[in-house]
Amino acid sequence: MMRGAPSVRRTLLIAVALPLLLFFVLTAYAIDYVFGQQSAAALRVRLEEQVVALVTAVDLDFDGKLVVNLLDPESRLDVPGSGQYAALRDDTGKLLWSSPSLAGTDLVLGSKLPVGGVDFHYDVARDGSPVAELSRGLQWAYGAGLSKKLVFTAADSTAPQMRERLLFRQRMAGWFGALDLVLLATMAWMMRRALAPVRRLEQEIAALERGRASQLGEGYPRELAGVTTGLNALLESERNRIVRYRDTLGNLAHSLKTPLAVIRASLGGVESGERRSAATIQLEIDRIAQIVEHQLKRAAAGGGATLGQAPVPVLALLSDLRAALLKVHAGKDLHIEIDAPAELGFLGDSGDILELLGNVVDNACKWCRSRVLVAARFDPDRALPRRLSIVVEDDGPGIPPELRTRVIERGVRADEHVPGHGLGLAMVRETVGLYGGQFFIDASTALGGARVELRLPGR
Amino acid sequence: MRVLVVEDEAALREGLKADLSAAGYSVDLAADGEEGLYAATEYPIDVAIIDLGLPKLSGFELIRELRARGKTYGVLILTARDRWQDKVEGLSAGADDYVAKPFHFGEVQARLSALLRRTGGWASPKLACGPLELDTRTQAVSVSGAAVELTSFEYRILEHLMLRAGEVISKSDLTERLYQQDFDRDSNVVEVLVGRLRRKLDPDELIKPIETLRGRGYRLSLPRRPA
Repeated sequence: MMRGAPSVRRTLLIAVALPLLLFFVLTAYAIDYVFGQQSAAALRVRLEEQVVALVTAVDLDFDGKLVVNLLDPESRLDVPGSGQYAALRDDTGKLLWSSPSLAGTDLVLGSKLPVGGVDFHYDVARDGSPVAELSRGLQWAYGAGLSKKLVFTAADSTAPQMRERLLFRQRMAGWFGALDLVLLATMAWMMRRALAPVRRLEQEIAALERGRASQLGEGYPRELAGVTTGLNALLESERNRIVRYRDTLGNLAHSLKTPLAVIRASLGGVESGERRSAATIQLEIDRIAQIVEHQLKRAAAGGGATLGQAPVPVLALLSDLRAALLKVHAGKDLHIEIDAPAELGFLGDSGDILELLGNVVDNACKWCRSRVLVAARFDPDRALPRRLSIVVEDDGPGIPPELRTRVIERGVRADEHVPGHGLGLAMVRETVGLYGGQFFIDASTALGGARVELRLPGR
Repeated sequence: MRVLVVEDEAALREGLKADLSAAGYSVDLAADGEEGLYAATEYPIDVAIIDLGLPKLSGFELIRELRARGKTYGVLILTARDRWQDKVEGLSAGADDYVAKPFHFGEVQARLSALLRRTGGWASPKLACGPLELDTRTQAVSVSGAAVELTSFEYRILEHLMLRAGEVISKSDLTERLYQQDFDRDSNVVEVLVGRLRRKLDPDELIKPIETLRGRGYRLSLPRRPA
């Protein structure tokens, strides 16, 4: 797979999931904040009530000393470390009374406060439990014109609130997390449904590329229908164009070569005095014929698989070619062996592969003593995309190493005695190149002659 | 040898006819597929040259049809496209060999005589029966190694008999192969030519190469042997 833009599905999923996640986190934060505010306010209200209760519980005894009468016999103020504390100081900050519950907590409750002063703060007890503390400075009247300036302090452990808050947070996280997951799953499912046509398009294009289909199907949603019908039309017109192109070239070949043949035939009847110029014209006709031949073949070679083309069955093609070549070389004691699995297919134009194999195998038949071996299989050197390796060997004289590159060049023949223009292998090289394939000439170890290998796209 | 040329291009058709006649063939011409099919099935053709791009009935169809009608003589296709696709299709349809346009006449002639030999069951261009030898390339004839001079008509009769050595060939068959389709046919000419041929090949009547089968025709009865 080539690296390109990230997949639409992934982009969409990220685009939806990220804001969703951010939304949930912010919402959770806001709810948590409000909850915290409310529980702090409730705590303060409770502490105010306790201060009031403390105020009502303070009294003077007969000696004029301050006493605290806790009305509730089960008050938590009496239980050490109970979490509820209270203290009383005078306006100089001197501690007048503190609740028994303070014992062992190391908490110092209250401080110097003017009348009307309020102090609210948090502290930590020795055991690490957090404590909220509210102090109020009050003018405490205990008779006509008699009053004392006192500081009342109530404190409460906030551990229960903290626990409650933690529990709240956990629950909230649980619910929001679950909701988030459900939402994401829904989104993913919806996206999958919404993108199903895109996936289908992807699969159909893959099928086109492998040649298992020649057109995209019907029934695409409106947004894609334009693309698919356009692509279908393009495929169709491309195929038609290629056919038309080939036909035109074929007609061109026919209309050019027939007059050449006529000229050549009529030159036979030229007077003996004109023989020399007739020979020159013959030579020039040969040249023109070769040029026409070469350029037309070159133009006709398709090069590369067109979308939606079925793979060409190589074995069937080789069998036809074998029968044809046995006829053409009937004067020779010729044995052509074919070794190819039936499922082997060439991805490209059938005319091109036939042209390639026709040239190479025909060459082998011309040069061999009696045996030609054609072996086709999947190229073991490359897994995907699959490639064919077609090896043609013969038991002829072979091609000497110094000639191997030259015989591929246009117009060069290893030996002038065997008919052919010498263009064959140059054409083979060019066509193989158009398909991004490879072409090697070597010596055959099995038969002792030439060994030509073609590597081409296959399936 | 009687050859059928099916080619729509008049100049090429006439050119081939001139060259083939000069090379000693009797030539039948057809300008399109239908005409070609008529000639191919009605005349005693020995070999046919068929262009693939024909009007009315394409070369492929023509070949398939004449093969379907049991004609077994050699068929040489002319192709302008020179793509293997055309060659393989033509050869699969029943043709035996191909020549790409524009061709040298020499190539056509070489392929034709090879086809004629092949349909007669000969592998090499040298035909040999008993002491008799005939080289189709040089048109040289010898008996026991001694060269024999033959006229064009005599050579053509001998080549035909040797190509089909062992088979009985009727007088009318030989006549048709010697002359064009619209020639005045006189079977006496064949008798005269065969008589001259016998005297030239076997002046002492030792090997008796050509048998006469009364009412049926002639047969070259010497055993074939590899040259």
